[in-house]
Amino acid sequence: MIRARSLSWLAYVVLTIWVVLASLPVVWTAIISVRQYVDAFSIPIKWVAPFTLEHYSALWIDRGFYRNFFNTVIVTVGTVTISLTVGCLAGYALSRYKGRIGFWMLMIALIFRCLPHSTLLPAFFTIFDSLGVRNTTLTLIFVLVAINQPFTIWMLRAFFANIPQELDEAALVDGCTRLQAFRRIIIPIMWPGVITTGLFSFLLAYNDFLLSSALTNTDQATMPAAIANAITAESEALLMQGIAGAVSITIPIIILVVIFQKYLVSGLTQGAVKG
Amino acid sequence: MRFSTFLSFISPSLGLLLGLLLAPLLITFYLSTQHCNLDMQEVVVKEQTPFGVQETKTIKAKIGSDGKALTICAPPSLSHYAKLLDTERLGKAISSGNWRDIQAMEFWGAMEFTLFYVIVTTPFVLALGLLLALCVNASVERLKSFWIAASLLPFVITPVVGALAIKWLFKDNGLIPYLLTFINVNIFWMAEAWSARLLIVLYGVWHVVPFAFIVLYAGLQSLPSEAVEAAHLDGANRWQILRYVTIPHLMPLIAFITLIHVMDAYRVFEPVAVLTQGTFTKSVQYLTYHVLMNEDNPSKASAAAVLTIVGISVLLIPLLRKTWKEYQPT
Amino acid sequence: MNAQSKKSKLNSCGALLICAAGLWSAAAFAKCGAIEAKGEINIIGNAFPVLQHIAKEMESCSVPGLKVQFKMTPQARTEIETAFSSNGKSPFDAAVVAMGVYANLQSKNQLLPLTQLVEKYKSKYKLEDNMLVKANGEVMAIAFMSNAQNLYYRKDLFEKHGIKVPTNYPEMVQAATALKAKEPSIEFPIAQTFAQGFDVATEFTNIYRSLGGSFFKAGTAQPAFNDAIALQTLTLMKTMMPYMTPNAFASNSDDVMNQFQQGRAAMGVLWASRAARMDDPAASKVVGKMEFAVAPAAKAGAKPASHLWWDGVVIPKNHGGNADAIFQVIMEALDEETTMKGNDIAVWIRSVYKPGRFGSAVSASGKAGAPIWPTEPFFNLAHAELGKVIPDALTGRISMQKALESAAAAYSSAAKEKGFLK
Repeated sequence: MIRARSLSWLAYVVLTIWVVLASLPVVWTAIISVRQYVDAFSIPIKWVAPFTLEHYSALWIDRGFYRNFFNTVIVTVGTVTISLTVGCLAGYALSRYKGRIGFWMLMIALIFRCLPHSTLLPAFFTIFDSLGVRNTTLTLIFVLVAINQPFTIWMLRAFFANIPQELDEAALVDGCTRLQAFRRIIIPIMWPGVITTGLFSFLLAYNDFLLSSALTNTDQATMPAAIANAITAESEALLMQGIAGAVSITIPIIILVVIFQKYLVSGLTQGAVKG
Repeated sequence: MRFSTFLSFISPSLGLLLGLLLAPLLITFYLSTQHCNLDMQEVVVKEQTPFGVQETKTIKAKIGSDGKALTICAPPSLSHYAKLLDTERLGKAISSGNWRDIQAMEFWGAMEFTLFYVIVTTPFVLALGLLLALCVNASVERLKSFWIAASLLPFVITPVVGALAIKWLFKDNGLIPYLLTFINVNIFWMAEAWSARLLIVLYGVWHVVPFAFIVLYAGLQSLPSEAVEAAHLDGANRWQILRYVTIPHLMPLIAFITLIHVMDAYRVFEPVAVLTQGTFTKSVQYLTYHVLMNEDNPSKASAAAVLTIVGISVLLIPLLRKTWKEYQPT
Repeated sequence: MNAQSKKSKLNSCGALLICAAGLWSAAAFAKCGAIEAKGEINIIGNAFPVLQHIAKEMESCSVPGLKVQFKMTPQARTEIETAFSSNGKSPFDAAVVAMGVYANLQSKNQLLPLTQLVEKYKSKYKLEDNMLVKANGEVMAIAFMSNAQNLYYRKDLFEKHGIKVPTNYPEMVQAATALKAKEPSIEFPIAQTFAQGFDVATEFTNIYRSLGGSFFKAGTAQPAFNDAIALQTLTLMKTMMPYMTPNAFASNSDDVMNQFQQGRAAMGVLWASRAARMDDPAASKVVGKMEFAVAPAAKAGAKPASHLWWDGVVIPKNHGGNADAIFQVIMEALDEETTMKGNDIAVWIRSVYKPGRFGSAVSASGKAGAPIWPTEPFFNLAHAELGKVIPDALTGRISMQKALESAAAAYSSAAKEKGFLK
């Protein structure tokens, strides 16, 4: 063990470099977000520059970013709620049912889990245009729930499989229906699994850019879709608002990491342990 | 569980999968065989603009009785596929051994970059993930959760935001090019194919390393300490222990990370859309998006989409076989 | 606004931000007059500085019950085309378009004729004849600004070293050589929008037309832009490369502006509509030092290598419902007041506009014979294909001849798919 310690300083050097690299893009973005354009992209680089919040106020008040914030809230809450409700039912059934169909459904879900999302867009445009529901957050919610289902089902099925069958069998013997057994006995034990899956559903909905930017516009757009115009910003004001927007989008994520670190880590490793 | 109960439990989920994933895919295939365009005719128009009046001969759509432009459709065919695949040109490019000719092809060029991205990022993700996992394992107990929390951000950050943040860092007058001038390196990241590709690979590694690291770190916790001590007593050095004890123990997790990463890397989109808008670095998923949104050609985009799905299906075969074996009900 | 309505608003507001927005739109009520409409009006346009000004004016027409929103995006062209050709309702009730996009939409017959609305509101909004874009007598669009690419140059440096302001591209390269030798503060004398895609294809178009090229065989959609003049154009563009940032193929208008604003570049051709930003100390280190002139010609004696553009507003046939209200919102935002308030940020078409330091070069370009931007509806297909290959041709990855031929072939195939070529 003495020998192990002799090299441990190297581990701290590596980890420190990594943490700096991991956080640098976000930290630097946060720094330039409170500068004037002339200082934000100055050559030579300015390490200290006058502080201003004008890009935040221009974005949130003048450009109405609060609307995009509320849209994101609606989309994420909607997606997580529906995903979990639908996914818990399916995941539970798949963990208890032994027939061949269940296996096939899991395999199909696995294939859909890997589907590049842009392949769905031509059809989505055609369908939603003809139904007249293209530019609504509700449509986006259902699309995100569907995209999310394969992952949700697999994750929740794994959690349910860890709960001994005897538990629900006992409840059935006591006269509960399947649904009652599911609601009163299984779900209460499942909370950690539900929270973990919910977190990942949240991240998927919150982080989605491709589908959100293609399916929603102006008053219906989520935050990531709304800052799309910073990508090839042909105007400094929009660029600076985009930078402020990037920081605004990241703050909730940082809060999430701080609060739910344990669940996020367990979610990442869960899939690994269960295959 | 009875079949009818099972069915009622899974039906909402199944409905979503069929209605919003399977059905659109079938429609996509249908769209890819369609060849419709506006029915055009030559006309002479007298135009008045702020710069004066002029008579121009131009081409306009014919108008139907309902006031809408008329379209004409050629019979359904697979010609979009033939054009995208262009096997003749591909054959020529391969036989002449000129890699650039492949890169210049619309679909194969996108496939080339996508596979390049998948193949190049995977070893870096695994190696760096393992390095970090070993380092955190060697760290003192009370710092461990800090390292993990600080590492999570690149993985959970909104990809489009992460890519933008990296873009702003690497812009011509951004921080990184400026710092690099101190060691006499002048790179204009978006100017050349190699650097544009490198930038996207950097983003990919930055984004995924935390995932590999956390999974491998969890794997290290279950490493039996007796095995390590036994190897140590047998005179194995640090490297040999890593090579013959630790890595074999982590092998299933390494396979897992590789599979997940390959599937996700095949879909690379945000860094391409944000960092280069496809210059030198069009990925298959970006190609579909670009043809649909920028070329405004839904049926060609659908054909590109179908080919993209064929590609992922081929990549998926090992995973499907593994899952098949593990879950096959006996 | 009376105190009571203010108070009831405060009570009903949940969050501070909503309050601010609510008060702000209520305050705007007086400005827009009473437009009688309910629901939403969505407008889309590109993301350049003038449109931020106009977007603000349009959105200020929001009143309780009527929400006006403007989406600014660099992807506007494609989003507009998809939206207006949709079988259902377009998500956008109006769009701010440049003339190239107008030509395209008009060829597909997707625009709502505005003649009656113009008649009805002509006097109310003081519509000027110059603003009306007509096809065969029907008003199809309301133009509000013109634009052209001008020469931007650092007057101070040109004077300091006694360099003549270039009137053609060979002179521009000479001036660049002189600056590179004499002026250490300038890293790359020329900054121009050579970004792959739209930007570099536009530069090509400017120079090609100035050299006397024409893109199509007369009166048809057959490509002709793979001729000797096109080769000459590419060769000329290549002579500029050594004086530009090595990152030129990723330099869009914003990057070029930044090079000027940070004092790293000394001259280049750029949109007139961006000139005002050179004098804003929050964005620029060269306040007062830039001067603007007619774009140089491709060769001595030729017409300026620049084009005249107009930008205007159109309403699609598949708009969301109340064309009358949509038209009024547009006109409120394009009134004399908007022009006067933003006099220096654009070259306005309205007669109240007073050309200043930033805009005078546009009319000068027009007088010097700069042509109108091509209006063939298939031109943007050629433009898009050229934009893809020109960087490769200029870096030598492929030969210029091969690049032009592959662009012409790709154009033909795209034009067939869209029905322009049989």
